[in-house]
Amino acid sequence: MNRLLNVVMVLCIGVAVVASFVYLGIDLGELGDSGNLQRMAAYAQRFLSPDLSPGHLQAIGRGALETLAMSALGTLLAAVFGLLLALPAAGRFGWPLQSASRLVLNALRAVPELVWAALMVLAAGLGPNAGTLALALHTTGVLGRLFAEALENTPSEPADAIRLQGGNAVLAFCYGTLPNLLPQLLAYVLYRWENNIRMASVLGFVGAGGLGQMLYVSLSLFQEAQGSTVILAMLLLVLAVDSLSGWSRQRWVKA
Amino acid sequence: MTLQLTQVSVTHAHGVQALRGIDLRIGAGEQVAVIGPSGAGKSSLLNLLATALRPGSGEVQLLGEPAWQLSARQRQRLRARIGLIHQSPPLPPRQRVVTAVLAGKLGQWGFGKSLLNLLHPLDIPGATAALARLDLGDKLFVQCQQLSGGQLQRVGIARVLYQAPEVLLADEPVSAMDPVLAEHTLSVLCRHAREHNVTLVASLHAVELALAHFSRVIGLRDGQILFDLPTEAVDRPLLDTLYANEQLQPSPTPPTTLSVQIPRC
Repeated sequence: MNRLLNVVMVLCIGVAVVASFVYLGIDLGELGDSGNLQRMAAYAQRFLSPDLSPGHLQAIGRGALETLAMSALGTLLAAVFGLLLALPAAGRFGWPLQSASRLVLNALRAVPELVWAALMVLAAGLGPNAGTLALALHTTGVLGRLFAEALENTPSEPADAIRLQGGNAVLAFCYGTLPNLLPQLLAYVLYRWENNIRMASVLGFVGAGGLGQMLYVSLSLFQEAQGSTVILAMLLLVLAVDSLSGWSRQRWVKA
Repeated sequence: MTLQLTQVSVTHAHGVQALRGIDLRIGAGEQVAVIGPSGAGKSSLLNLLATALRPGSGEVQLLGEPAWQLSARQRQRLRARIGLIHQSPPLPPRQRVVTAVLAGKLGQWGFGKSLLNLLHPLDIPGATAALARLDLGDKLFVQCQQLSGGQLQRVGIARVLYQAPEVLLADEPVSAMDPVLAEHTLSVLCRHAREHNVTLVASLHAVELALAHFSRVIGLRDGQILFDLPTEAVDRPLLDTLYANEQLQPSPTPPTTLSVQIPRC
């Protein structure tokens, strides 16, 4: 009985796969045609000769700098506002503010960066302004949530001890809670910065500035040579940021 | 009277009655040891005197002020004049010893000065002096997590010495130290109290230390005061009644560990 059920399951999966191909109209046979293979090779070929002229490289340098600035500024803004929202979200100021700030954080986080960017391009116009705002808004939601969890998990005794000596609440937070919390916050911020730099290079596709916008323009004009240079630059940027944040993690978080 | 409890009872959140109907008067400059089996309410009594616990009933008068009838601001000012040494000092693992000690004066310093001190220690000589009395003068710029339990306890004591309160409360201040160090540390505390006319109340699990260093001994059992006598009047039968059917054991110090999650994508 069990074996029969298994056979039926396998048959069902097979039928589903075939049905999907038919429904979507994908003809795998066409991929293997000799003419098509040549065309694919030619298409890839056009990407293999990146445009390394000084003028284009300069433009790419500016674009990379823009992407870097967008992601850094967006993450910094998000870290500040995230911490401001995380304090009420961790229940420091009573439950009404806690549920309100959690709602705000969830709403910010639920909308993806690309959607925020599309909205911000309409609101703030084309360019890096919109990209920075989009990154800041989404990342505020993510970091606020992570910060709030870190805050809840931090032992309260050191801060309580400061209160018991007559110190005020802000000082108790700075002296008792922050030293435990700071490495964790830094780790989260670095991680989101890594994410954001990748995101910042894509945001350009909806007109929010940076390398992505250059890539979008090049590909739209069928300038594969220019486009491939932009892709190379993106790769380099991401690798550089990866190693930079790895190094700073070693330096400040693990120590 | 510096410290005055009238018919004070304390019930913890989980329903255990820690103290029942305590009457206690301690005058300025007195040095009092609190002894008793574990679970007798020693820590509760000290936390009560430090205003860390609010009594369920009864009245708490500290330094002539009704602690729980004050406004929050006035109570914070009162708290700055009272120092509590915790059994396991709640110090952030990554904080430097110098910052942890200087934090003792947060109740007395202004807001700006306190924040500035976080970035750059403002009174290194003061911290050094407090630590040097406990043989820790060389550990000024070490992180708290690099210290042993006994060293951490001494940093906690140095913080309260630096705070220079009028009432010094100590909850098992030497529980993580070896006997020689415990002797030395207690005598430092008692000398400080004598020299500055500070009222000292310490709970101890080592009876010999209590009898050797303090002039007045309070025996606590089941949340009630069994005896409250000058040291000379405490004899063997009394101690046997106090610890009847109980084993003397130091409560273990829970290690404070810091775990950092490092997210990767």
